Amino acid sequence: MKKMIFVLVYSIAVLSIFSYGKAAENEQLSIALSGQYANKMTDASKKLEELDTAVKKTLLFNEADGSSKARDDIWRLSSDIKNSVSSLPLDPSFSTSWMNYLGRLGNYAKEADRAADNVEYHRVMELASKNLRSMADEWQVATSGMVSGNLSIDGWKKRLDVADSGHDWTGMGTSVKQYTESDFPLTASESDSMKKKDLKNMADPEVTREEAIAEFKKIFPHLSNETIGVEMSQPGSPYPFYHIRFAEAESVGYIDITEKGGHILSFLTERPFGKESLPYEDLKKKAETFLKDAGYKDLVYEEARENNTAWHMVFVRVEPEYGAKVFSDVIHLKIAKDNAGIVGLDASEYIRKEKTSRQPITKKNWKTFFHSGVDIVKEEYAYVENDRLEQRLAHYLTVTINENEQIGTYAVIVDTETSEVIKTEKLQ
Amino acid sequence: MIQLLLDHFLFVNNINNFGQTIEKGGMKVKKLVTRMVIIILLLGCAYATSPVQIKAFSSQNVARGAFGDDVIELQSRLQYIGYYTGKIDGTFGYGTYWALRNFQEKYGLPVDGIAGLKTRKKLVDASQYDEKFVKDNLNKGNKFTYYGSKPLSSQVGQGAGKTENVQLPAKYSDQDLKLMANAVYGEARGEPYEGQVAVAAVILNRIEHPDFPDTVGGVIFQPLAFTAVADGQIWLTPNERAKEAVLDAINGWDPSENAIYYFNPITATSKWIWSRPQIKKIGLHIFAN
Repeated sequence: MKKMIFVLVYSIAVLSIFSYGKAAENEQLSIALSGQYANKMTDASKKLEELDTAVKKTLLFNEADGSSKARDDIWRLSSDIKNSVSSLPLDPSFSTSWMNYLGRLGNYAKEADRAADNVEYHRVMELASKNLRSMADEWQVATSGMVSGNLSIDGWKKRLDVADSGHDWTGMGTSVKQYTESDFPLTASESDSMKKKDLKNMADPEVTREEAIAEFKKIFPHLSNETIGVEMSQPGSPYPFYHIRFAEAESVGYIDITEKGGHILSFLTERPFGKESLPYEDLKKKAETFLKDAGYKDLVYEEARENNTAWHMVFVRVEPEYGAKVFSDVIHLKIAKDNAGIVGLDASEYIRKEKTSRQPITKKNWKTFFHSGVDIVKEEYAYVENDRLEQRLAHYLTVTINENEQIGTYAVIVDTETSEVIKTEKLQ
Repeated sequence: MIQLLLDHFLFVNNINNFGQTIEKGGMKVKKLVTRMVIIILLLGCAYATSPVQIKAFSSQNVARGAFGDDVIELQSRLQYIGYYTGKIDGTFGYGTYWALRNFQEKYGLPVDGIAGLKTRKKLVDASQYDEKFVKDNLNKGNKFTYYGSKPLSSQVGQGAGKTENVQLPAKYSDQDLKLMANAVYGEARGEPYEGQVAVAAVILNRIEHPDFPDTVGGVIFQPLAFTAVADGQIWLTPNERAKEAVLDAINGWDPSENAIYYFNPITATSKWIWSRPQIKKIGLHIFAN
């Protein structure tokens, strides 16, 4: 009996000490996390004030040069606040709309150099300043509990739950969204880019479910015998498509085909791979033949990456006017190393087909354009999207430079008309 | 020489055996041996005149985009003779390409940046490859070089650990792959492969979307964004399937069709998520915008 009591007391004592230790540890972690969150919140509040001041400073000048430093501050501060917001547990509708607003504000300030219309800049920034002020006030009210230490993390999380909330997060999110739409409406190219992403402009006739399956059978005859399900995309999808699932021998996969036009969006199959490895040249030939047979006739090979079981290949559309590669219209292929079977295809970017227009090509002197140690090893034309989301004809230059006894290789993309460097990318 | 050996053989036979029968037997053996010698000589000629065989590399050409053991050997051999100064990582990128072209130019080979049969043969003749040294260091994740001009022991230093055995597009790092594979495994390990690729694609879609952070880490660790982060399942060790799913998403596949959210309708507690326009259901997850 005595022994039993001893064991019991001993166990209870050990458990109590353990529980106490755990509880203390959790509390310490909770305090540390609360401290970090409070720090981020005060940091965001402070920077929001600074951001408002920076916006106001830019309104003092008529010339973009005068406000250059303040505009840099807007870019930096909006990015800092965005980082703080992204690391805080906030209502998702509020945090996403706020991050969007801050990103657009920063971009607008950064791109003001190029804007010819100073009146428009003043109009937008005056509105932004007013809205920033009210956002700063609301933010202070919303975070006061956490910043003053009156609210635990659990308490804060409860506040985020709309039903128990003492704060209208949804309302805050909605107002920020409205500010975004009024202060920074989408530009024509942004709106165009979004439409393309949603495939809203596709004018092709609709295909039936049976026609979609027939398309699948035509392109992948060896996989399409055992179709295990065909579903229509959900009503919220910006572009309706058929989602076909299949299982053939050891292969299981899916293919998505648009309702308009019956175009393949993406196809992927999973199966066990053998250890054999066919030569790359054979796989490339197989990929090119497959694409031609499938009706993709305006593509050229761009690059490939080998991995353990398959090669991922990229093919890019070539427009006929300048023979330029359109880098927004690509097809990705995944081809198995063991038997050269096509195990993946993604044509979602290709079917969005960018509209390309003629563009003047001004004469360039690359010798003065580049530093003396730079060699141009390849020169092509390409259509590339600039940071205003416009498709521009560009010189696509592959250049090399000696970097500490190693050869560095870069792609430099230069607008054919304005000579603007759209992008410089280090090639691996 | 062969005739002498045969004579000696017959001589010994003659001493040990007597009579005609034995002599006839010796003649048969002589014929047999002569035939064997002819066959061996023919085989030898065939071997000598056959295409070059290299006791190194596989039989395939190695070109830009390739990855694996052949590239490791190629980089090591090029570094051994001082043509390649980059990291030996098994990825045939531009660094290896220019080094190989320089080698081809110096050795009077056609300059195409492809390690074909002739180039590989020349490279094997011109260099040495200590496979054990190179592979051991790669497996241990050591920082090392393989120059023939220095003692190998002096070329090894502490590294950051073993890297993932995959080749990624330029804008993604090894760490991105690891983090994403952890997230995919933690969030969707019971889902079909397509569903796992879709979860990885949602992470990538968020990086491109203005409403979200613009790094892999930023998106994954955004508070309240992923259940696996909140309950610690993100730190489970991902399997090869999850890594392959991430690799496909990184290489351009998006079975979610541009979704930026997904949720499990059985376990979702947020009312807000139901307000998002739904695109597609894969396994237990609904993907939404």
